Amino acid sequence: MEPQATSQPVVFTTQTQYPLPTQKFMIPTTWKRYQLSQLVNKALSLDKPVPFDFLVRGEVLRGTLNEWCAEHGIGEEETLEVEYIESIMPPQKMSDFPHEDWVSSVSCKILGHFTTASYDGHIRIFDYSKQLISSTMAHAAPITSVCIISSENESTYIVASSSQDLTAAITQVTLSQSPSTPSTSKVLASLHLHTSTVSSVSSNPLGTHLITASWDGLIGVWDSNVPSSDEVPEPTLTERDRKKRRRVDDGSKPRRKAPLNVMKSHTARVSKALFGVGQEKKAFSCGFDSTVRTWDTEYGVCEHTISASEKPFLDIALTPDGNSALAVSTDRTMTLYDLRTSQTSLSSSKASFSHPATPSCVAASEANSHQVVTGGYDGVVRVWDLRSTKGAMATCKAWEGTKKVLGVDWRRGVVGVAGEGGLEVWKVGEEAS
Amino acid sequence: MAQHGGRKSTKRKQVDEEEHPQDLPRNGALEMLTDEEDAGDASSDDGQVDKFPEIVAESDSDNSELGEESDGGDGEEEDEEEESDDDTESDDSLHVFPQAKVVISDITKQLKTVYPEIEPDYDSDSSTEDPPNRVGNIPMHWYDDLPHVGYDMNGKQVLRSARGDELDKFLATVDDSSAWTSAFDKNTQSDKPLTPEELDLIRRLYAGENPDATYDPYEPTVEWFTGEGKQEIMPLSGALQPKRRWVPSKWERQKIMKIVRAIRHGRILPSKTKSTSKFEPYAIWSEPSSSQPPPLPAPKPRLPTNAESYNPPEEYLPTEEERKAWEEQDPEDRERDYLPQKFPSLRLVPAYDQFMKERFNRQLDLYLAPRVQRVKLNIDPNSLIPKLPSPNSLKPFPNYRSLQVHHSGNRVRCVSVSPDGAWVISGDEAGVVSLWEINVGREVKRWKFEGKIGALGWCPRTDVNYFAVGIEDAISFIIPPNVDASVLSLTQSVLAPTTLPPPATTPSPVKWVTPPSSSWSLETPIVTIHLPSTSGTASNFSWHRRGDYLASVSTGGSVWIHQVTRRHSQAPFKKIKGAVQAVLFHPLKPHFFVATQQYVRIYNLSEQKLVKTLLPGIRWISSMDVHPSGDHLIVGGYDRKLCWFDLELSDKPYKVLRYHSRAIRSLQFHPTYPLFASSSDDGSIQVFHSRIYSDLMTDPLIVPLKILRGHYVVDGLGVLQVKWCGKHPWLVSSGADGSVAVWCS
Repeated sequence: MEPQATSQPVVFTTQTQYPLPTQKFMIPTTWKRYQLSQLVNKALSLDKPVPFDFLVRGEVLRGTLNEWCAEHGIGEEETLEVEYIESIMPPQKMSDFPHEDWVSSVSCKILGHFTTASYDGHIRIFDYSKQLISSTMAHAAPITSVCIISSENESTYIVASSSQDLTAAITQVTLSQSPSTPSTSKVLASLHLHTSTVSSVSSNPLGTHLITASWDGLIGVWDSNVPSSDEVPEPTLTERDRKKRRRVDDGSKPRRKAPLNVMKSHTARVSKALFGVGQEKKAFSCGFDSTVRTWDTEYGVCEHTISASEKPFLDIALTPDGNSALAVSTDRTMTLYDLRTSQTSLSSSKASFSHPATPSCVAASEANSHQVVTGGYDGVVRVWDLRSTKGAMATCKAWEGTKKVLGVDWRRGVVGVAGEGGLEVWKVGEEAS
Repeated sequence: MAQHGGRKSTKRKQVDEEEHPQDLPRNGALEMLTDEEDAGDASSDDGQVDKFPEIVAESDSDNSELGEESDGGDGEEEDEEEESDDDTESDDSLHVFPQAKVVISDITKQLKTVYPEIEPDYDSDSSTEDPPNRVGNIPMHWYDDLPHVGYDMNGKQVLRSARGDELDKFLATVDDSSAWTSAFDKNTQSDKPLTPEELDLIRRLYAGENPDATYDPYEPTVEWFTGEGKQEIMPLSGALQPKRRWVPSKWERQKIMKIVRAIRHGRILPSKTKSTSKFEPYAIWSEPSSSQPPPLPAPKPRLPTNAESYNPPEEYLPTEEERKAWEEQDPEDRERDYLPQKFPSLRLVPAYDQFMKERFNRQLDLYLAPRVQRVKLNIDPNSLIPKLPSPNSLKPFPNYRSLQVHHSGNRVRCVSVSPDGAWVISGDEAGVVSLWEINVGREVKRWKFEGKIGALGWCPRTDVNYFAVGIEDAISFIIPPNVDASVLSLTQSVLAPTTLPPPATTPSPVKWVTPPSSSWSLETPIVTIHLPSTSGTASNFSWHRRGDYLASVSTGGSVWIHQVTRRHSQAPFKKIKGAVQAVLFHPLKPHFFVATQQYVRIYNLSEQKLVKTLLPGIRWISSMDVHPSGDHLIVGGYDRKLCWFDLELSDKPYKVLRYHSRAIRSLQFHPTYPLFASSSDDGSIQVFHSRIYSDLMTDPLIVPLKILRGHYVVDGLGVLQVKWCGKHPWLVSSGADGSVAVWCS
């Protein structure tokens, strides 16, 4: 029998904006992704050709249909359900921003700018032309994470950062509009709660509240207002300290701020805490005690706990629809948890994505609830489609794959990769949906 | 009669002579003769018939006829005529055996055979003889002293006949020349001349000859078995049978009677009747086949090849050099024992000259060469491996290297993990102590000291936060940065209280030095202990679980126990046997482990005495660690051995593991997980699962889980120290290649 003669019944489904009528196609088994993509484009008669990727039973079709069927033992009379998604273009490196020290976190929230938090205690803001616009010494110790709370106007931003000096800080950064005026920054407040390194800080979408996670197992909820006076008293100084402190002027000293609420349930280090998407009073956290917890921030109680076995979680991200959480752990997996069913089912782990090295950070796409990026200690940033668990859709090697990636952020088709080598910016096409 | 009297006694012959005239009937002419009669006639003609005298004596009237016949010539008595007439009534009387006659029965009118009547009268007995004196056949010596010699039939005494006196005897001898050859016969009471036979007998006895006259001592040998025609062909012989053949054996009878007696007395129980006659059926094919292998078939002789053909292809034919070389070789060294030869036709092929030799060699080979079928031990090698659980079921354990921190090429001798499991300090030989996060690997703080860093130990207390660094012969206590204010102040008050405790009464060579509080900084140690300068580099630290006591071992072998709160150091041992390699505090009891080169000694610190000495059998101990339960100890040695001791059981190791190919450098139990790890100079780290059961009867389960490779061997040194992260199954290892690796699950 000639290979051309065989064909496979296929039904196409999609969640993209290009649906095909439900209809059975007889597809020659020698076809690859390219032919299938052309078929879909032709069937939809799109003006501009859109490349598609095809998922067969949770796996991206890489070779021919024939090969896939032979590998999985599918007969030619079985109807295959093939889901097609918009292809991700191969990531392209746009630019890199070398730092003197390691960069622990990056935020791309400010349009046209990248905010990085470095281990030397500085918060730096770059624009797209690789120019360092602002550099703020927010902490004396390494900064572990940074987030943009809000912007008062186009040039003034409120930035929160967490640090190993046991505090988080709220910093006001005013970007210079012209080269002549240097940008200014001021640490407005320091958040005092934790007795150990603050591992993460994040704000809610409106920028009214902050949530911090720390190694001491506590999660603090804060409002983003800067108090007029210290809410937390200065530590009682010993005699010899007082002599030193006398020389320091306290005019520009940041206000010491106390939390609104302290949420205590984790038994080990909390590595990340963030607010829910679209749910004002909800927060999620993950920790080294192998749990993902759901919090009611208003009352400060743990609503639900998802317990995994021996998975010290390093980072968590929520999909834009807020229905599922992605947590990366030191056992080299990223696990997808469905937060809707978490109330009922015991273990709501839906899928597991394994990495060759420790994944240190995860960021979900803003626009698409199927795509995430993870950065690992092998220096590779992987783009995943949650429907395909077998392998990453695309990878980009930062710093030639020799240095650790510590933080990623993915907004507007741009992935900021922070790590040992500084900051790199890659262009990764986001699927619009 | 005298002629055939050789087989009769003389006396008997006399009797015959006297009796026959009465007994034997006279039978003159008889018509009715049978064929036997003719034979009798013939024998009578010869007068030599002497075969039946015995029968004559036995059988009565019939036999008399024979006797009469033989005596026919001198028979004269008439009264016998009558009797013979009686006999002649029956025609058969002349026969030896009773003659049957055939008559016609009166009743049946048939012919019937009638046998003659037998008359049992006294006359029929020829033994009745009438002795002359009629006293009877009695022993005559009874009457030797009596005047009579017996009694006659009427009871009258028979008087002794008169005997002549000596003179008469003399006269008789004179008169009768035969008187001297006569003897007195007591029975007849008269002299009786001796017969010539008797005289001959006397003469023979007198001459000492055989009394039997007929005995011929020189009669010819009868060849029973040899000689012409007497060769033994049949096993039967005509030889006389020995007596024992027909006489019952006396000894056999005794033997049999013994057995019979034993059976009667019940000493011998006759065995039960065996069912030997019954054939018990059994399944021939059901019995298992013999375990012995069947005899080996003889190896087949090799088949001839092309080269052995009479007309081999040209390429098989040897060249001249090859032929010469073959001929020069010894037969044993030859590769083959023939030379290929080419013959133009089969008819020209000569006889094979090696045929006999080859056959002989083959026979020798067949029966002299032992042929043994080598029985392979049919043991599944997998069955010899102990059943261990799969490593996958024993997760979590470290199985990959998460990150690596580099120390610019200097050997990292020591590493320590903070009690909360978040920070790692590592110290290298260049004097650099680096503090970094266990998860990220970013160095946060670096201290530079003069001299090698020999040991690091993080204080196990959680309310204070500091660690001890062994730099050459000094021990420094350092507070890490970014510590919570309350913890910091407590730590400072613990390490450098404002009011120093009173110095010990006994002067100690160890000096505790604290810089003034104004000069305190993160860069410098808050307290430094100066050990005596001869002690060498502090190489091993062991913190007591409460965090107040720190035991240190120096390369010089001195052991010190430092008490932080009292700022006092003491040497627990006045004198130490052997060089101390490592010390340990027992996690629960006030016990103290001291490992010298070959022994591990356990001391009770509160009672100040030796509890136990363990004999690991290691030539040079390098490291040891005690299980968190306090009942088990692992000891590693430079001779690659790792010994597991059950302290409850014995002073000998429960198990000796020898998995490393080079010296073991370091080992540690995980404080919470059932894991332990050992590192070696071969650059590998081995992770074991070690489950200890609360049930005392169950042995600890030790399962090798994973070999972690990633460190390079530099100058023969591999992984110098391994430490577990307290909260997670993560392992921190420092190597001679200047890198510190974190292995995650």
